[in-house]
Amino acid sequence: MSNHMDNGFNQRGTVNIEIVRKAFSGSKGTLLALENILLTINPGEFVCIVGGSGCGKTTLLRIIAGLETQYEGAVFLDGKKLTGTGLDRGVVFQEHRLLSWLTVHDNVGFGLAGLTPEERSGDIRHYIRLVGLDKFEHEYPHQLSGGMSQRVAIARALAGRPEVLLLDEPFASLDALTRMRMQQEILRIWEAERTTVVLVTHDIEEAVYLADRVVIMSPQPGTIRKILPVHLPRPRARTDREFVRIRKSIHDELFGSDSIAQLATENR
Amino acid sequence: MSTAEQNRRLAWKSATTEVSANPPGKIKRIYIPDRLLGWIIPVSALLLWELLARLGMLPANWLPAPTVVGKAIYQLTVSGDLLKHAGITIARVAVGFLLGASAGTLFGGLTGYLPVARKLLDPSLQALRSVPSIAWVPLFLLWLGIQETSKIALISVGAFFPVYLNLSVAMRHVDPKLLEVGKLYRLSTFQMVRRIILPAVLPEYIVGLRSGLGLAWMFVVAAELLGASSGLGYLMVDGEMTGRASIILASVILFAIFGKVTDWSLNAAGRELLGHRAR
Repeated sequence: MSNHMDNGFNQRGTVNIEIVRKAFSGSKGTLLALENILLTINPGEFVCIVGGSGCGKTTLLRIIAGLETQYEGAVFLDGKKLTGTGLDRGVVFQEHRLLSWLTVHDNVGFGLAGLTPEERSGDIRHYIRLVGLDKFEHEYPHQLSGGMSQRVAIARALAGRPEVLLLDEPFASLDALTRMRMQQEILRIWEAERTTVVLVTHDIEEAVYLADRVVIMSPQPGTIRKILPVHLPRPRARTDREFVRIRKSIHDELFGSDSIAQLATENR
Repeated sequence: MSTAEQNRRLAWKSATTEVSANPPGKIKRIYIPDRLLGWIIPVSALLLWELLARLGMLPANWLPAPTVVGKAIYQLTVSGDLLKHAGITIARVAVGFLLGASAGTLFGGLTGYLPVARKLLDPSLQALRSVPSIAWVPLFLLWLGIQETSKIALISVGAFFPVYLNLSVAMRHVDPKLLEVGKLYRLSTFQMVRRIILPAVLPEYIVGLRSGLGLAWMFVVAAELLGASSGLGYLMVDGEMTGRASIILASVILFAIFGKVTDWSLNAAGRELLGHRAR
């Protein structure tokens, strides 16, 4: 555990994204999912990627994770070109994707290899405690609620001590109250672990609440429309004037400032 | 609380316990635990059967009383015939099931894991499956003779298909999202099979094994009825030839017991393997 605490400031975890093109070819022809994505994510930074469905934000995250390898361009982690998946990146999906036949303990330790059983167990317990599930270590996934399962998934992603934590709409399937609690939790975990975090979401408020920088994407083809820094101190109040202003500016960026007027005309 | 109040409460308490233990009035309710409900019909039927047989209302050579059948089983046991015939039947089922289930596991695993193997093998296997398995009997007898080989071949065919089908389908339906988790942790093909695919298909595989075992028992009867000089099926034929209905019924009952016991053991072993996971 001590080695987490030592490097309070982690210089590792720089992500350089230089994607020229990513296309999916299907029966109906080719779909251009991403085009000209240039983005550098700093070590220890919390970046949120927002956009509507089909803007390629999940594809972008999957490329960083190494789950999509067919694209033009390159992604670098600490200067090293990524060619596939790796333990240097932890991934949390929208669904928890826990293995139903393993306990919380074994799910968290699923990807850990090359350690003595004691080290392994110690690591696993550290992360189970970090996500606040000490009492559920020996439970099975079907005994957990949605929020708890997602905590286990976060612990599993962190257990390999990744330099980057990638989250793909991790709280989208949770109820509103659990989602807000999980947003606070992920900040607490991020502050404890100091890893770089990239979180994909369609929830503008979530992005403003969490991110150091919000990357706004637009669809067809998926491109970066704007990058917006959020300089508000944490913990952020969702009703704070500046918070609301930033939220509105992202909204306007995504939908246009006259979107309500537009909706009104469309409905007529 | 006043004494009167306490007394009233006591009276009320004793009254309520009395009600639940033994309802007052005309309606006397018999409480039967749920798990015993299923026994009511078979036990009553047995009693009625015994009664009618004793009263001579059922012809003894067609439907002997349960006690007579019980006596037949007892006599088979003491004479050592039961051990001999049941032993050979169990051995046939064991060998046939083992061979069939192993082949089913091999082909099911292969076709479930490799799409190319499925495209190559599955149509032929499905075509073979549509042949009612008993239809193989004459051919097996011709090819393999009347000895053990033909019987074991038939039982294997019976056990093969459920195992093959369940495993193959289950492997094809392993959640790709879970396989992606394995990919994230850079599992090798072997690790992927051992750590994700096998645990994921285990419930369906056990279902396949259980139906395979059921069919193995069915086919051992067919095999033994159609040409055997030993086994429970032979005992049935013998009972028919010599007009001893009690022997036939005794064999039927023994088949039922063995089938149930082996299925139950397999199920218990399966539950042990599955542990506490979600059903």
